[in-house]
Amino acid sequence: MKEISFFRTWFRNWYDIFIHELHLIFSDSGVLVIFFVGGLLYPVLYNLIYMNGTVDDMPVAVVDLSGGSYSRRYLQKVDATRECEILLYCSSLEEARSLMQRRVVHGVIYVPADFDEHIVRGEQGTVSTYADMSSFLYYKCLTMGTSLAMLDEMHQIQLEHNVPQAVLSEENMPYNKPFSYTIFFISAALMLVIQQTMFYGSSLLAGTLRERNKSFASLPGHLQGLGVGRVVLGRGAAYFAVYLVVGAIIALLIPWLFHLPQRAEWTEMMVLLLFFVVDCIFFTFTWSTLIWKRETMFVLFLSASPMLLFLTGFSWPVTAIPDFWRWVSMLFPSTYGCRAFINLNTAGGTLSTIAPEIKAMTIQTAVYYFLACASVFVEHQITLRRSRRAAVRC
Amino acid sequence: MKSILKIIRRELDIIRRRPVYLLASVGVLVVNIIFYYTLMEDGLPHDLPIGLVDLDQSSTSRSFSQQLDATQLGQVIYYDDLHLARHDMETGKLTSFVVIPEGFNADIQANRQPHMGCYVNSLYFVGGALAYKDILTMVSLTNGAVQRQVLRAKGYNEREARALIQPIVLDQHQIGNPATNYGVYLNGVLLPGVLEMIVILITVYAVGTELKYGTSKQLMEMAEGSIEKALLGKLLPYNIIFTVLGIGLELLLFYWFRYPLRGSIGWMFIDILLLVTASEALGLFIVELFPVLRLATSVGAIFSVLGFSLAGFSLPVEAMPPYVQGFSAIFPLRYYYLIHVQETLWGGGFAFCWKEVIHLLLFLFLPVVLMRRLEHAYIYQEYERD
Repeated sequence: MKEISFFRTWFRNWYDIFIHELHLIFSDSGVLVIFFVGGLLYPVLYNLIYMNGTVDDMPVAVVDLSGGSYSRRYLQKVDATRECEILLYCSSLEEARSLMQRRVVHGVIYVPADFDEHIVRGEQGTVSTYADMSSFLYYKCLTMGTSLAMLDEMHQIQLEHNVPQAVLSEENMPYNKPFSYTIFFISAALMLVIQQTMFYGSSLLAGTLRERNKSFASLPGHLQGLGVGRVVLGRGAAYFAVYLVVGAIIALLIPWLFHLPQRAEWTEMMVLLLFFVVDCIFFTFTWSTLIWKRETMFVLFLSASPMLLFLTGFSWPVTAIPDFWRWVSMLFPSTYGCRAFINLNTAGGTLSTIAPEIKAMTIQTAVYYFLACASVFVEHQITLRRSRRAAVRC
Repeated sequence: MKSILKIIRRELDIIRRRPVYLLASVGVLVVNIIFYYTLMEDGLPHDLPIGLVDLDQSSTSRSFSQQLDATQLGQVIYYDDLHLARHDMETGKLTSFVVIPEGFNADIQANRQPHMGCYVNSLYFVGGALAYKDILTMVSLTNGAVQRQVLRAKGYNEREARALIQPIVLDQHQIGNPATNYGVYLNGVLLPGVLEMIVILITVYAVGTELKYGTSKQLMEMAEGSIEKALLGKLLPYNIIFTVLGIGLELLLFYWFRYPLRGSIGWMFIDILLLVTASEALGLFIVELFPVLRLATSVGAIFSVLGFSLAGFSLPVEAMPPYVQGFSAIFPLRYYYLIHVQETLWGGGFAFCWKEVIHLLLFLFLPVVLMRRLEHAYIYQEYERD
């Protein structure tokens, strides 16, 4: 009989806390702004900003001092690439330089006077390129455009001289053929948005409660400090309910809306979300212990978001990240969540592909659950002692 | 004058009492500098994992893989099976992999032109692009080596053979970043961007806190009822902190890290000062628009994060859709970036960036527009407090 009543009270407490937390979430406009406006607005905004994803037909200036048929053919080929467009022909390098300085063009191709002469004589001809390094995409465009044209010209000249190709290479970029900035950036950012909005929103709430001297860790009084588990699980369930919806919108609807690759089954995505959201919840509970004032959270932790994005290894390769930061990155669910999303959704893997990430998230979940419970317990003890002291003073 | 001094003293006292101000400015910037500097200390990644599926197992394929492994960029991981390599690429373990088909060596000897398959994971940007470049270089070198043997056998001399193997040589110059150092490119704008974020958030927080705790009335009394005096006294200490941080950041970037700078450091100081004051004005404008601390901080946060993307140093602004391009005009970081490029790449000076300077100065007029609104809020405190 005792057993049954224990479960019944446990469940009733859990349910009360769950409803109470939902009530708190939906009655705080600041939190709602972060969860629903921030969580849903950012993915849309980023999709709009990065809609095109590639720099096409980047304007290039040409200084062609050679003016022969070979140089003309080469430059026509550069012009024909997706990457470059020859905007202007200049008479001197000085002129081209000033065009680049005024941001009219982002690259300069210089063909010296002896270029054609060299090629006709069967010698190597040199073409100089000058790239605007203010953005790496400019540099990439100029390098790609001039190299592709150079390779094509090389094959043509070799054909004219009956030089056979020994090896042919066949490129295959299965996931992101045009090297689109959109596909690579959004794939990494979506999961981070889930984690960060949850952290910011939940911490706002925790900070507010603490400001009002109502501990985030308020346990049902009659249990005498034994209800840690149901507090954490009850509150967690509220965020779980909210974020399963927000997460599904971010991870499934947004890519569909903006025609991003969706190579995974939706059921597999839901499995990933399940692990990731639960992990994020306990991560948030643990770290929000540090937030004692509502607004300090943004002032202190906002700049962490871009850092976390880099720690996922989406841009700077994981193998090049120093060991120390790789250890630090293991603290965050986003490191694994983002990678799992990229590999599952965008690269089209299966659940077995993301097994290592799922495993890491499971370990994180377990550790953070215990840390969250411990912090609730400690905070409860502190507030208890404080209120007792206040009572004594009275 | 006396009243302003009094307010400054009061503000300094607040900063001393509440560590969050120094933590959120100096602390956050220092953490960011350490993070981004150490993350990209190498400048360019090396030893990227490249898979190699050698189905030929011949001396040619072996020498290819050894040479690929010997490049600075790549580190070869051997696979027996294409599916396994593909799986490892899917999991992000490999940046790319190369498949050398069966009969590769025999085909080369018989002039049957075998195909080498290169698979690149283009979802991991820098790693994928670099590995791809590395593989292409090695393939063309292999190609060249065979062609050279054929040409030499045909009786061409060394110079002629070289000219036919590579008739056109590209002599590439990277203006302003000759080593293609990713850190130079990123940190030079990202860290000032972090400073912009810090300035906006702290300005909003400092001005808004007076409303939240209802201390604004007392402040207005000290300022003899003048909102201008109150804000001047309140923001001056922060202005000094931000200025010191900005100058320190520029000194760090160009003297300590030795990032290339064509123009003068003086211009970079002017640039960062303009960024700091413009961001401060923007922060003030946000809190004037929403004189409720909790709303203003959320808006400031959502706004300043977008600055990184819309400054246009990752994806250039002209590659964004037209209706997004205009929005880049409301971020001071955009103009900071343009002046930064002009100075570091060209050393153009005032003649080439006066427009951007004016843009940044225009931000200073923003808070004037809604000054009365804040004054009203400060005196009557009729908005909800939190």
